[in-house]
Formats: sequence, C-alpha cells, structure tokens
Amino acid sequence: MTPMIDVVFQLIIFFVVTLKMTTDVNPDIVLEDGKNGVTLTQDNMPPTTLEIELDKNGNVSIHNARLSKAQLRAILVNRVRRHGTDFPVLIRGDRRTQHEKVKSIMDICTGPGVGIWKLSFVAIQEHKAKKDQ
Amino acid sequence: MAYQRKRNKGESPKLDMTPMIDVVFQLLIFFVVTLKQEDILSKLSAARPAPSQDEKIKENPPDLLTIIVAPQGFLLNGRPMRKEELDRRIGEYAAISTTPMVVIKCTADSPHAFLVQALDICNKNKMTNLSIFSM
Repeated sequence: MTPMIDVVFQLIIFFVVTLKMTTDVNPDIVLEDGKNGVTLTQDNMPPTTLEIELDKNGNVSIHNARLSKAQLRAILVNRVRRHGTDFPVLIRGDRRTQHEKVKSIMDICTGPGVGIWKLSFVAIQEHKAKKDQ
Repeated sequence: MAYQRKRNKGESPKLDMTPMIDVVFQLLIFFVVTLKQEDILSKLSAARPAPSQDEKIKENPPDLLTIIVAPQGFLLNGRPMRKEELDRRIGEYAAISTTPMVVIKCTADSPHAFLVQALDICNKNKMTNLSIFSM
C-alpha cells in the first residue's frame, strides 16, 4: 500500500498548490479569438502592466473590482506619475460590447494627465478552458 | 494481590489505514473535478493616433490602408466584405507593400469582436503599423 499512498499524496499536494480558489479577472467577460497576437506570458507582462476589464454592458473593472470612469482615470493618472507612460495597458474587452464603450476607455487612456497612446487588446490564442455554455 | 505486568508477546499494534485512504481519495476526486485549465491569451497592439500625427494621416500617403469596422462587417477602402475576404485582400496587400500603415476606423455601434478580428488579421499578415480611429 505504501507506494500507492505516496503517489496519492503527491497528487494531492500538486492539486493543493495549483488550486486557485478565487478569480482575479472578471469571469463574465467573453474574449474574441486572436490566434496571431503576441502570447501573453509572465515574461512580456511586467509587474507594472495594467489590465482594464470591460464587460458586455460597458462596466469597467480591474482585478474584478468594479470602478467608475473617474476612478479609472485617477488610477491611470497616479500610475503615470509613478511610472511614466511606458507601462503596458491591456484592455480585456468582452467581444459583445460595443465599440463606444471601448472608446470611452481609450479616451481615458489618451486623455489629459495620462497620455498612453499604445494600447493592447486581450484575445484568446488557444482555448483550453471548458466552456460553460 | 500480585501485580501482573502485561507482556507484549511480539505483536506490533496495527494502525487502520482505511479511513485515511478514504479521505485522501475524496480529496483527490475533489481536486480533479475542480481543476480548471486556463485559455492561452494573446495581445493585439495598436496605437491611437496622437494629435501630432493627424496631419500626416490627412496627407493620405500611398501605403495607407483603411479598414472600417461596422456592425455588419468590414469595409476595406470603402468596399464591404466579410472576414475571410478581408483576410485575403490584406494578405495580397501585405505581399506588395513593405511598410503599410493600416487605419482601423470603428463605428460606435460595432461589436468589439470585429475590431479584435481586424487586428488579428493585420497581425497575421505582419502589419504592425496600426492605428485605431473611433467614428
């Protein structure tokens, strides 16, 4: 029995370590496919990366925490003061949202006090997760 | 009253492993069921034209390609088309032009999915000089 118990404990430890109980992104956002984009890895996402989430109704959040447009602007202005405009901004927009909602985010990014003109949009390169629908 | 000491007659005490194995298997099944693989994500980058660049764009340089993203689909240099045709046309254009500038104009009511598709097609055809206009 001993080897079997060893293996089972190894498996349990693996699952405990890799388990993620809470999600730090808005789970309701459905992304569009983008097979030809640059793969998002830890290497090309420095710690200063700001990922702005935009759901299908135009609600804005960061790390699944809902924000008003004014709060988002304040966060961006503070970040620009600390890091300059070099930090990457990713827009994780729902595929069903209308462009005017995306435009409002881009307007904040390029607006006074921020001035970030280069923006990136998050897409799915390869499907791995099971679809709920 | 004589004290009689209990003697261990060489038998080691046995630990019942069954409940522990039951619990461990329950845990294992829970973790296997709740394990969720995550999608591999990519980023599609583009720039919004800075005010100083507006004049340059107005000059309409020869290598300028305009994609309009509308609720019904795409328009390439004013001609409506579907995603597949846009992909083919941009592929043809990329083959003859070295550093084309692509301007993606999005209407307010177009779905965000179409903008991502247009950016993906441009990335596929190695077009990196991309600008997004909102109409």
